[in-house]
Amino acid sequence: MNYEIVCGIETHIELATKTKIFCGCTTEFGGEPNTHCCPVCTGQPGFLPILNQKVVEYAVKAGLALNCKINTRSHMDRKNYVYPDLPKAYQISQYDEPLCEKGYIELDSGKRIGITRIHIEEDAGKLVHENGYTYIDYNRSGVPLIEIVSEPDISSAEEAKEYAEKLQLTMRYIGISDCKMQEGSMRCDVNLSLRKPGDTKFGVRTEIKNINSLSFIQKAIVAEAERQADILEAGGTIVQQTMRYDEKTDSVAPMRDKENSDDYRYFPDPDILRFSIDEEKVEEIRASLPELPFDKLKRYMNVLGLPEATAKLIFRYRKVAEFFQGALAEGASVKNAANLIVGAIFSNMDTEEEKELFDIRISAAQFAALVKLADEKKINIGVAQGTLQKMLESGKPAEEFIKPEDLAGISDETLERLCREAIDANPRAADDVRSGKDKAINVMFGYIMKKTGGKADIRKAEALLRKLIGS
Amino acid sequence: MRAGISELAARLRNREISSVELTKAYIDAIEKLNPTLNIYVYLTFDTALKAAEKADQMLDEGDAPLICGIPMALKDNICTDGLPTTCCSRILKGFKPYYDATVWEKLKKQGAVLLGKANMDEFAMGNTSETSCYGAPLNPRNTNYVTGGSSGGSAAAVCANLAVYSLGSDTGGSIRLPASFCGVVGLKPTYGAVSRYGLIAYGSSLDQIGPLTNSVKDAAIVFDAIKGGDRRDQTSVDHDYGSSLAECLERDVKGMRIGVAEEFFDGINPEIKSSIDEAIKLFERNGAIIENISLPALKLALPVYYIIACAEASSNLGRYDGIRYGHRASSYTSIDDMITKTRSEGFGDEVKRRIMLGTYVLSSGYYDAYYKKACLIREEINREFDAVFEKCDVLIAPTAPNTAFPLNYKGASPVEMYLADICTVPVNIAGIPAISIPCGEDSRGLPIGMQIIGRRFGEATVLQAAHFYEQSAGKVIDDYEGGAVI
Amino acid sequence: MAISKTDIEKLAWLVRLSFSDEELERFTAEFDEIIAFADTINQSIEGGTEQIRSVGARMVSFDELRSDEVAPSLSNEKILSNVEGYNGFFSLERSRK
Repeated sequence: MNYEIVCGIETHIELATKTKIFCGCTTEFGGEPNTHCCPVCTGQPGFLPILNQKVVEYAVKAGLALNCKINTRSHMDRKNYVYPDLPKAYQISQYDEPLCEKGYIELDSGKRIGITRIHIEEDAGKLVHENGYTYIDYNRSGVPLIEIVSEPDISSAEEAKEYAEKLQLTMRYIGISDCKMQEGSMRCDVNLSLRKPGDTKFGVRTEIKNINSLSFIQKAIVAEAERQADILEAGGTIVQQTMRYDEKTDSVAPMRDKENSDDYRYFPDPDILRFSIDEEKVEEIRASLPELPFDKLKRYMNVLGLPEATAKLIFRYRKVAEFFQGALAEGASVKNAANLIVGAIFSNMDTEEEKELFDIRISAAQFAALVKLADEKKINIGVAQGTLQKMLESGKPAEEFIKPEDLAGISDETLERLCREAIDANPRAADDVRSGKDKAINVMFGYIMKKTGGKADIRKAEALLRKLIGS
Repeated sequence: MRAGISELAARLRNREISSVELTKAYIDAIEKLNPTLNIYVYLTFDTALKAAEKADQMLDEGDAPLICGIPMALKDNICTDGLPTTCCSRILKGFKPYYDATVWEKLKKQGAVLLGKANMDEFAMGNTSETSCYGAPLNPRNTNYVTGGSSGGSAAAVCANLAVYSLGSDTGGSIRLPASFCGVVGLKPTYGAVSRYGLIAYGSSLDQIGPLTNSVKDAAIVFDAIKGGDRRDQTSVDHDYGSSLAECLERDVKGMRIGVAEEFFDGINPEIKSSIDEAIKLFERNGAIIENISLPALKLALPVYYIIACAEASSNLGRYDGIRYGHRASSYTSIDDMITKTRSEGFGDEVKRRIMLGTYVLSSGYYDAYYKKACLIREEINREFDAVFEKCDVLIAPTAPNTAFPLNYKGASPVEMYLADICTVPVNIAGIPAISIPCGEDSRGLPIGMQIIGRRFGEATVLQAAHFYEQSAGKVIDDYEGGAVI
Repeated sequence: MAISKTDIEKLAWLVRLSFSDEELERFTAEFDEIIAFADTINQSIEGGTEQIRSVGARMVSFDELRSDEVAPSLSNEKILSNVEGYNGFFSLERSRK
C-alpha cells in the first residue's frame, strides 16, 4: 500500500462499581427489565444526580496506570441529544475538563501510543425492537463508564490490536473492570485515515463501530484501510462518516446516516458541584495500585530470569501472578514454581476465565512447600507434578501424599553406589557408552530408576555415571 | 380575616378549634371561591381531612411542631407522592410522581394539611401565571388583574385566605413578584438553603423553594420547617443558622446598614418609588444607616438571567418526550415524530420560546458569545454583591417596577413582559436571600411590594429587618373580606 | 433578520419542537427580538479567556462524594406507574395512526 495508516482508538469501559454513577441502584448484570432503576436513572422530573466516589477513584486508577496526569479539579458537563435510551435527553459526561490527560501505553516495540484523555460518564439504557414496537429497559442507564481516547499514534492494524490488548490487561489488572468485549464492558471505536508517507497533514477520517473482539479490531482496520486506499488510488475523496464493521463478511460499510450531525450544546451540569481530589489522595490511590502488568512482565524476564514465554503466561493473570509471587516469598524457586504452575496447574484450566479466576484449593504457601521439596531434590519433578495434582483435587497439603521414605531422598553416596551397581550390572552397555553409543546410558538410567522408584535425580546420575564409566 | 400560623397554633393547642374544623372552614371557602378565582388546579380535600385527623392526634400527644394541623397549599411543580404534579402544563397531564419532594416530606412529618396544588405559569416560566394550561388565577385584590407569577396560585391562596400559607418556587422572582402583586409576604431563601429534591426543575442554578405567608413571622416559621441540607440534592447546604429564625425576629434596627442601589430604581413606577422611599425613611428615623451604593453590573442582570435560565431549562425540559410519563401524541410516523408531536402539543408558547432561546445560546458558534459571557457577567454580579455586603447588612429595593397588570394585557411582546423581573433576577443570579413585603398601595388600590435583600445565609437579618418594618408600618395584613371563616 | 427560518427549524429539530407555518412566522419575529435582547450583554465587558467550569463557587472534596453502597431500587410497578408497560419494559409503538 502506498499509504500510511493514521489511527486512534476510543475505548469505553464499564466500571465494576457496585452502584451506578449518579444513584444508588445496583450495576449487577441481568435482572428483569426496569428493576434496577430509580427516579434518577429513569429521568423522572425533580430528580438530581449524586456522583459516586468509587467512580472517581477507579477513573484515577485508570489514569495512573496509563501514565496520565490527574486533574485535581474537575466537573461534569451535559451532552444534550435526543434518543429513546437516554432518559434525560442529555448524557452527563465531561467535555473540557476530563479527569485524566496526557498518558501513554508502551508497545513491545518501545513505541508509545499517547492517551489524550480519560473522562467519566454515564451509560444509556437498552432498546429492543420487535414487531413494530420499541421496548426500553433502563437497568443499564447510569452504569458508570470511562472513555479513554488515544492520540492518532497507531500506524498499523497490529499496533491497534496490541494497544487494545495492553489496555484491556491493564484495566483488568487494576481491578476496575472485567473488560469483556463480547459482553460490552469494553467497547472500541476506531478512527482511521490514510496519508502519503512523509505527509504531515491528516487525511479525512472515518469512524468504525460495532467491533466486538480484539482480533476484529485488527481485521476492521485492514478492511477499512483497503477501502480507503482503493478510493484514493482511484482519485476519489474519503467521505467523513461512521462505518460499521460486519464480522460475517469481514468488511466495513457506512452506518445508516444519523440525521444532521448533532450539536451537543455542552455546558457544565448545574446539579453537580465541581469536585476536587487532592495530591495526597491521588498518591494514596497510586500506592494502592498493584504492580502494573507490563512492569511485572519486565521484572519477571529481566530480574527473575524467566523465559519470555513462561513469563507471559504467568503475568497476564493477576491472581496467577500473585500466587506465583506468594510462593516465591515462601522460598520456592522461580524456575520450578513457574514450570509447575504452567505445566501442571494450567493443564486443569482450559479457558481464559478459569485462569483469571484462578480458583484453586491450595494456598501459595502450600504450593511453595511442595516446590521446595523439588528444589532440594528430595523429590523429582515427576513426583512433584503427580503430588500437585492430588493436592489440587483434594485441597490437602503435600505432606498427605509424600511418605517419609520418598523424602529420604537419594543421598549422594547412595547414588554413587547405585551408579557403580548399574555399571557392574550392565558391562556391555557401559562399553557401548565408552565407544560412543550414547543411548546405551539409558540402560543404566533404567536400573537406577527401578532401584529408586523413579526418585533419582537424573542429571546427577548422568554426571556420576559418565564419570564412573570414564567417558 | 386572615389568620397567622402562631395565632392558629395557639388556638389549636387551646382546643378552641381542631385541625379538622379549621380544614373544613378552608374547604368551604375554596368550594365557594375557587371556581372564580382559579387558584387551585387540583384539590385534595379527602387527604386533607385525613391529615387533619392525624394532626389532631399529634396535637393531643403534645409537643407538636408549630405548623401541625395548619392547612396550606403547594405549587404544582412540587412533587407529591400519588397526587398529580403537572407544572400546569399539558405535557404532564395526569403525571403522578411516586415520591415526595423533600420539602413536602418534611412538612408532612410535621403534620401539615395539604388543601391542594396551586396554579402557576407553565413550568414556572412567566411572571403573570397566565401561561398556565388551566387558565390564569385571578388576583383576589382585584379580579381584573393578574396575580403575578410564576407562583401566582400560591400567592393568591394566601391573599384570599384559602390557605394559611403556601410554598412556591422562585427562579427569577416567582415567589416575590406574585407576593407583591397580591399583597402578601414571600421569601426566596439563599440558593441551597432548601432542598430542590422533588422540585421540577426550570433553572437549576437559580431555583429555590420558599414560603408565601401573611406575615414575616409566618415566613420565618415555614422557612424553619423546610430548610436544611439534603443528601439527595448536592447543591443544598446544611447551613447552621444557630436557632429557629422565627424566635429571633425582634431587633433594634439602630445601626443597621441599609444599602440602596440606584440601579434597582431605574425606570420604576413613581408611586412605587415613593412607597419605598417612605419605608427607607422609616428605617432611617429608627437609627438605621442608609448607604447609597451602586451595582453597575445589574444593568445586564436581566439578559444574563434569561440566557442562563433558558439554557438550563432547554436541557432540563428535554426529558418530556412522552415515553415514561405525561402526554404522548396519539398519531405519528416514527419515534422522533412522536417525540416532536408530543412536545409541540404539550408545551405552551412561552415554554417553547424559552427552550428555543436556551438551545440557541448553547449552540455551537454561539456558546461563547451568550452562555459563557452570561456566566462571566454572573460572576461579576456576584463579586459586586459580595463587595456591597461588606458595607451593608441588607439592601432595600422595589420588588417590581409596576403593580399588577390587567389580565390579558395585549400588546406586550415577550421581551416587554420580561422587564417586570428586573428587580428580582439579580437576587437569583447571586444566590442570595430576599423577602418581598407589602409596603403600600397604588392609586388603583393594588399592592406595592418592597424587597429586603441579604447576604448568602443572611435570612436572619433579612427577616429581622422585614419584621421590624411590618410591626412599625403596620401595612401588612389588610382586612380581607372573604376566604375561610374561622 | 438576525435569524433565518431555516436556522430556527434546525434549532427546533435539536429539541424536537415543530411549528406550523403560521406559528413559524410569528415565532421568528418574536425570536429576533428575544435574541436582540440577549445580545445586549455583548455591549459590555470583554469576554475574557477564562473557561466556565461550573456555576456556583462551592466545590466538594473527594471525601464528600457519595459512597458506593447499594440502595434499594424501586419496584418495576412504580417505575412504570405513569405509562402502560409491556412485560416490564417501557413500550413504544414505532408508528401510530
